[in-house]
Formats: sequence, C-alpha cells, structure tokens
Amino acid sequence: MISPSESRDLAHRLLAWEANAGEAAEPAESISLRVYEKLRRRLCILAGVAGFHSLASRALTLAKSEAPDLAAVQVAPDGSLLGLGKPDVQIDIVGSKAGEGETILIARLLGLLLIFLGGALTSNLISDLWPDATLDDNIAGNGRKA
Amino acid sequence: MSTQGKVTIHKLLTGVPGLDEIVGGGLPEFSFNIIAGAPGSGKTTLAHQFVFANATPERPALYFTVLGESAIKMLRYQQQYTFFNPAKLPDSIRFINLSQVVLEKDLGAVLEEITTEVQKANPAVVVVDSFRTMVRQPQSDMDLQSFIQRLALFLASWQATTFLIGEYAEDELRDNPIFTVADGLFWLRQTTERNSIVRKLQIVKLRGQASVPGLHTFRITDAGIQAFSRTFGLTARVRNPVGERRLSFGIPELDKMLDGGVREGDSVLVAGSSGTGKSVLATQFIAEGINQGEPGIVAVFEERPQAYAERAASLGLDLDTPQKEGKLAILYLRPLDLSVDETMQSILDAVQKIDAKRLVIDSLAGFEMALSPGFRADFRESLYRMIFALTGIGVTILSTVEVDESFTEFPFSTYSISFLCDDIIRLRYVSIEGQLRKIMVVIKMRGGNHAKDIREYEIMSKGVVILGKRLTNYQGLISGIPVRSAHSAQEVEPSHVTEIEKQT
Repeated sequence: MISPSESRDLAHRLLAWEANAGEAAEPAESISLRVYEKLRRRLCILAGVAGFHSLASRALTLAKSEAPDLAAVQVAPDGSLLGLGKPDVQIDIVGSKAGEGETILIARLLGLLLIFLGGALTSNLISDLWPDATLDDNIAGNGRKA
Repeated sequence: MSTQGKVTIHKLLTGVPGLDEIVGGGLPEFSFNIIAGAPGSGKTTLAHQFVFANATPERPALYFTVLGESAIKMLRYQQQYTFFNPAKLPDSIRFINLSQVVLEKDLGAVLEEITTEVQKANPAVVVVDSFRTMVRQPQSDMDLQSFIQRLALFLASWQATTFLIGEYAEDELRDNPIFTVADGLFWLRQTTERNSIVRKLQIVKLRGQASVPGLHTFRITDAGIQAFSRTFGLTARVRNPVGERRLSFGIPELDKMLDGGVREGDSVLVAGSSGTGKSVLATQFIAEGINQGEPGIVAVFEERPQAYAERAASLGLDLDTPQKEGKLAILYLRPLDLSVDETMQSILDAVQKIDAKRLVIDSLAGFEMALSPGFRADFRESLYRMIFALTGIGVTILSTVEVDESFTEFPFSTYSISFLCDDIIRLRYVSIEGQLRKIMVVIKMRGGNHAKDIREYEIMSKGVVILGKRLTNYQGLISGIPVRSAHSAQEVEPSHVTEIEKQT
C-alpha cells in the first residue's frame, strides 16, 4: 500500500517536473493547477468526465481535511477546479507551506489512482504525461498491492 | 502475389487458450464481431485477452468504454489476470471513454468521435464496451441500422478488427440489424446447474471460415478465459492411420486371446464387478507399455496416485521410476465443479506432454461420479469425443467400468458406452464347486479374430494369470452359475492354441 507520505512525495516530484518544464512566456498559472489539468484531461479520456469528476471530488474531500486553505475550492462539472489557481511560481515547493493544499490535493488524487489502478498503470499514465519523469520502482511495483 | 489468386484472410490469435481451435485457427483479420451474453459471462475479459494478444505500439488497440462499468474499475479488475500486461498501456492499448458523447449527443456524434480517434491512432483492434448501452434507446430502427452499417464499413476500411460487446438475450437474435451486419457472433452463456456454474461459448456465426459448431465449455481463471473445444484441439493434428501393430498386456495368454494383443489406436473396455481385477489388468497394460518404450497416462478417480503406484509395486510393477523419468503420469482427478470437457482436457494435456501411447481411465464410473451432477448429462457425449479424438491420433485407451454382477444377465456396462469401444473384455465371477472363481472372455474385438474361449484366471502376486485350460466341462458359465456338462468331463486346450497349431 502506498502511504500518504509516498503519494505526497510523488506529487512534489510532479510539481517539480512541471515547474522545470514551464516556459517564461507561459501565463502565471498555478503549477499545481497545470499538473491537475494534465491529469484531468488524460483521465477524462480514460474514465470519462463523470468518472474523473467522482475521483476529483473524493480527492478534494480528503485533501480538505488536511488543508483548510482548500475550503473554498470546488470541482466543476467538467472536473476542473474552481477557486484554485492563484500564482505560486515563487513558491519553494519542497520547503514552503504555501501551496501545500494544492500539493495535498494532487497527492490525494494520485493516491486514489494508485489504489484503483495500481502502481504500474499509474506509473505508465504519469510517464505518458511527463515523458522525462522517472519514477522509482517502489511506485510502479506497488500497483497490485495498492 | 498473384492477382488471380483468392484473397488471403489472415487469422489473428484470440489470446484465449482453446479458442483459436474453435474459431478455425484464429479470428479473421478486419472482421466486425459481436460478443454477446449476460452480465458476468466474461465478455469484457474475452475482449481484453484479444486486445492484449494483438495490440502493438505501431497498430494499437482502441478500447472505447461507454456507460456501464467504469474504465477505472474495469482496469482495476482486469489487471488481476495474468494476461494483463500493464506495459502495454497506453502505447499499445488506449482506453477512451465515450459516456459524455453518448449521454449528451446522438449516434452521429458517437460515430464522429470514434472516427476521429481511429483516424488518429490507426488501430489494429477496436472494442466498444458496452455497445448495447450506447444504442439502448435509438431514435428509430433506421438510425441504429444506419449507424451500425457506417461504423462497420468505416472500421473495416481502416483495417481494424472490431469487437462490439453487448448484453443481449437470446431471443434478440432475430430482427436485430447488428447481428446481420456482424461477421462474427460470439455468444457466452452462464447457467447454474444444481450447485455448479456452467459456462458455455458458442460461435453463432463466423464469416470466411469454418468454426467448430456447438457449445464449448469455458472457464474463467486467474489466466482469464480458457475455452475447451468440443474437438479437444485435436482436429488440426494429423490423424494416424490405423496401425496393424498389436500392443501387449504383458500377459501372454491374454495377448493370444486378443489375436496378438490390442490393436494400436483401439479403445478397450474392461468390464467387471468389484474385485475382478479390472485395475490390475489396467496396471499391467500400462506397465507393459512402459517396458515396450510406450509412455502412458493413468487417470484415476478412486485412489490417489501414490496408492495406485504402491498397489502396482505389490504386483512387482514399478510405476515410480517411469514417473520420475517422465514416461508415465498418474493423474488424480477429482474435478467436483469442473466440466467433463475440462477434465478431459487435463487428460489430453498430459497425453500430449509426454507423447503418451497408452491411456488408462480407471474407472469410468469413478470419472462420472467425480463430476458434479450438472455435468453428468454430457458425460457420454464428451467421452465419445475424447475417445474418438485420442484414438484418431494413435493413442490406445483402456477404460475400466464396474458392472453389477448378475446371475441372470451378462451386461457389458451399465453406462451404455459399449459403442465407444473397439474391444471389450469381460471379467466376472462364477460359482464352481463351492468356490467363487473368475472367468474372462473377449466379447468383442473390432477388426480382429479374437478367441471365443471363456478362460479362468486368478489374481496372483504378479497380477492377472490366466489358467492353462479352457473350461469346456461346464454349461452356462456366463450366467455365473454353471452346471457341469454331461457330455464332457475335462478341460481342453484353448482354441487359439489348437488353431495356431493347426495352421502350423
């Protein structure tokens, strides 16, 4: 079983990869929102909008219990997030508490994927979205146990 | 390539053990197929096995999910099967959910969505699961028919082999345009018989090639679906011509009664009541085969392999060494909820694994009793198919069967399976001079000039031993209660000895 700390670590890494992949000309969009949007688009193809909406709502509910700053955030009918997206380009993702709620949300979403799809398929999905990303064997190998 | 030649329809492996044989060697490429059946009958698993067997990064599979089972849950469950290779996702296998299009738009939009994705991916395989939910409420029959026609035409033109999965009842076979358009129709059935679940597969329709007709048992295991062809996968094998070679029992007198031994490729039935030595005879038959370099299989149902080998050892027959050397396999089959076809498949697998030349089924009564009641109705028919298939490739089969001892009748078998056998050897008790003695007679030998003698035998430390003299001084031996003949007061030499002597 993937622990919350492991899925949070994975979320941190996705945010770091996305930050590195960002371009200067890009709008000052939340990195975590970009990560979320990539996941949303891919998962809507896989599971449908309704399927993704259910997953995202569950992830948000779980994340809200850990991050009160997500209290105003909602999942829109198309699965996108409402009330999130303030620029956090300056945030030190690893060390700062700022933006931690978004990280927890991503972590919770990844945690659900690991639970439902397993490590191997989640790893494939992430590799498909972030081709340069490398995941440790622990994540990929945890699929069947998750 | 000859421009005048007929088109070659390539066959794709189904990825389902046993199914290739049933569909005639594989599924026709670019065919438009329906997998129909009730919920839980294995439709999605069948489609997944085909997809995983055929999808490549160059020619991927597109798996469209619609309403019904969510893709995430589907993947969660399907990945438990051993055929599921996660590395194939998403490069070789791509899942696309069409629920929103179906819910919010019409069939035209659905077709457009599928068309777009197919043109983008150039897939070798397309699956729509569940197609039924997509067309449950068509605006009119014409809409549905038009949609299916266009979908089939488009996917065939794009060189995709297609599966539409649907939950259909059998009475929907008529008047449904989808079944008219389909090239292949796979119907999966699941019924409950007593406490057992019986799964059967039927190829209702398959254009372009001959499939094996009828209902085929299938099972869903950790490895996915495994189908059991009614022909047991042996139709593709070259049938051996009927040989003239005779196989010895290792009992010279019995071999003589059989005109030199059992003809290779025959099915022999040894019938007798309890304690008459049927299993001993069968063991001697298999042991003699090992001595002659002919690997053998013994399928036992009433005792465990170790006990069987120990009993053979008590007769001086070593079955342990040939087992270790891979020349003999003793199968202990207590199938309980297995179908007769699955059980027979186990025997066939063992036969093919060691290239067995002799097979002993000990006993048919035990075999039938080991099956759950729901499958017993198929027993005779399945047994017939297995014996026909195995003897056709040159395996010689000896089956034992217990018959009720009667002192007014002389039954060969209570199972009405005599027609399955080329040769019948009957063992029975007779009451002679205050003793319960044993006699043996060859009742039938197809294509052979067997002895007509009724011979007395005993089971000794080295097995069945036929005693030297033919009993001629009794009348009514086969009744079990003979009377001493008035005109003869002695035993004479067996007829086959005198006949051979006359010839020389």
